[in-house]
Amino acid sequence: MSDSKSVPCIGFLTVVENAELGLLGGYLLLNATGRPLEFHCTAPVQPSRAQEILYGATLRPYLYGEQIGQTLLARPKLTPLVVCTDHEHVLSARDFSPVPLVLVCQTESARPPAFCLARNQVVAAPHYASDQQAILAAWPIQADHLDLNEPFARIREALEEAQKTARAA
Amino acid sequence: MSLAATTFDLAVSVRALASPLSVALRQPDAIEVRSQPLDFSAEPPTTITLKTPRTQPRVFSFTFPEAPHSAAPARPVKKPAPSLGHIVPPSLPPAEPRQSLTRIRPPGDIIRLEDRLYYVLQPPLETLVQSDALHFPFEPFPYQFQGVAFLYPRYSAVLADEMGLGKTMQAITAIRMLLRSGELRSVLLICPKPLVTNWQREFGLWAPEIPLTIIEGDAVKRRWQWTQEAAPVKIANYELLMRDRDVLDESLAFDLVVLDEAQRIKNTASTTSQIARSIRRSRNWALTGTPIENTPDDLVGIFEFLSPGYLRPGTAPRRIAELVREHILRRTKDMVLTDLPPKMFRDAELDLSPEQRATYEMAENEGVMQLNSMGDQITIQHVFELVLRLKQICNFDPSTGTSSKLERLEADLEEVAASGKKAIVFSQWVKCLEILKHQLRRFGPLEYHGQIPSKHRDGVLKQFKEDKSKHVILMSYGAGSVGLNLQFCEYVFLFDRWWNPAVEDQAVNRAHRIGAAGPVTITRMLSLATIEERINQVLEHKRALFDQIIGQNTAPASVGLSQGEIFGLFNLRSPKGVITPAA
Repeated sequence: MSDSKSVPCIGFLTVVENAELGLLGGYLLLNATGRPLEFHCTAPVQPSRAQEILYGATLRPYLYGEQIGQTLLARPKLTPLVVCTDHEHVLSARDFSPVPLVLVCQTESARPPAFCLARNQVVAAPHYASDQQAILAAWPIQADHLDLNEPFARIREALEEAQKTARAA
Repeated sequence: MSLAATTFDLAVSVRALASPLSVALRQPDAIEVRSQPLDFSAEPPTTITLKTPRTQPRVFSFTFPEAPHSAAPARPVKKPAPSLGHIVPPSLPPAEPRQSLTRIRPPGDIIRLEDRLYYVLQPPLETLVQSDALHFPFEPFPYQFQGVAFLYPRYSAVLADEMGLGKTMQAITAIRMLLRSGELRSVLLICPKPLVTNWQREFGLWAPEIPLTIIEGDAVKRRWQWTQEAAPVKIANYELLMRDRDVLDESLAFDLVVLDEAQRIKNTASTTSQIARSIRRSRNWALTGTPIENTPDDLVGIFEFLSPGYLRPGTAPRRIAELVREHILRRTKDMVLTDLPPKMFRDAELDLSPEQRATYEMAENEGVMQLNSMGDQITIQHVFELVLRLKQICNFDPSTGTSSKLERLEADLEEVAASGKKAIVFSQWVKCLEILKHQLRRFGPLEYHGQIPSKHRDGVLKQFKEDKSKHVILMSYGAGSVGLNLQFCEYVFLFDRWWNPAVEDQAVNRAHRIGAAGPVTITRMLSLATIEERINQVLEHKRALFDQIIGQNTAPASVGLSQGEIFGLFNLRSPKGVITPAA
């Protein structure tokens, strides 16, 4: 088997809001052809009343980025080249992880920091504009065909599947 | 508690300047300041602390087999053969993103969360194609992607697509994906003997990187082939199962066994079925366009291979439909191939020639009298014999050789030959085909039936395809109705009808399949006011019921003729009343 560090892989991290359970984080690592290598998901996270009051407008970045994002990013055995997310609040996790983190734009982005990655426009985390160069230098050519939005749908389905199993148990 | 206090003397002298304003203001000469120390010896104020614990949420982790650090394979993973490596694709323009993506869904019998997540998290098949992880010579149809997605996660599956929709390609692609992901290492594919070369050709087209072993040759050679591990896919024919039973009984085991034309094992008591069931395997797939040929018990027979004990004979049809729903996938051309050229039926309802009519009536009257006289001794075999004799008269008058069907066929073939096209003529009797070969010699007829040696058959098909002087091929239903690709033919003639519409469909689909150049015209010949017309009426009724078994899960019905129906063709009576089949 090949050395774990030599397998190029790409991470996808998202957070799903469930009305009953709270927030569920899912983190999927794919190889360059889009096949799954690792998957990590959190138990439901619900902010306390104190947190809601004290964090105020910073609650979401705290929960998405620091609590869920930071925890998930530390978990895998493989180190991805880049982690993609579809939630802007997750970008705050970049402060706690050495891995470049980008937001996948949902539409054609006019924002200047956006750059092209695979078939999508992405934006690096604030204050980490230098990640762009590192990402583009390490990006595997076999992954150029990927639609970076597609894996998030898989993560959402996987979270639903995990919740079904938890409820059945 | 007391706090230290510092006092300042603010009694400063102030000298007022003499001015009209100071007189008016009557400023004092000094500011009186009094200071008083504060006493903090009382209880301190209450403070409330709001804690914001920074606990990390619990995380559940899953590692999948393709991760280099995965511990999934308990057995040692063999290095794939060099030819399974990456294929360099041709330089095609990048594909436009599809609107719908085909995802693999875990079937209901996958229980473990980790296994279910493994399938849920697979990429869409279209993504794999675009990534060149899977290169195809032609873009698969969307329904074919769905067929592959159906087979991929299943340990027991029936792919029951109508003939001509590419079951072969779908099975090969699913095998290919499973080999590449390491989930399979050994596959056995069993098919009718005439189809072995067809499978070999299809593997060469759809999965050229997969080494194959064709089990053939003498016993010594076959034994060696069975036990070789070099090629992950072995192809054998049903006939070899009997001959190599002792080899299969040994320690041979396969990750996947695929049965093509799986209706061959519907009879659980047959030796072929028993041997197939005895092969050690982890997964099994059955490919058949006719999972139910006569009764729902045909399906029970197939499932006895897929999952022994899952279905039992005598189970209510509605219950069978519920149980098999997740395991069977069937599509028909009407459902999925709106772009396929049309299939046009042209029923040729013909009157018998005078000679034929005279012979027919005499034979029927005498035959029925004889059957009636047998009373309770009558068996289905007796009725069959009469039916077959009458059907043969509908083809040719035995004494004069006249045939209204032949006249019609000759006329139609004139047109076919004149337009440079080709036709297939089916009959259930080789003798009939031999007569036709003589009568139709000006059209360059070729024969393809059980009496043509196997080694010559591929050559016959090649000649038929390539030789422009050969406008017609004469096929028996048995030899020509299974698995062959003749999509360059635009005309099909059913000289006499088969008992079962499913077999006729198979015959027609030799020409009407993917790759058909144009519309296919099917002429079904039927002699009016004869046994053929009566059989046709029963079968028309049953044809409408066939799709309900698989497609809509309503109460299924037989699609061939039951014993009662065969007896009913002649309304046989004895002195005791209507004659029915023996119990």
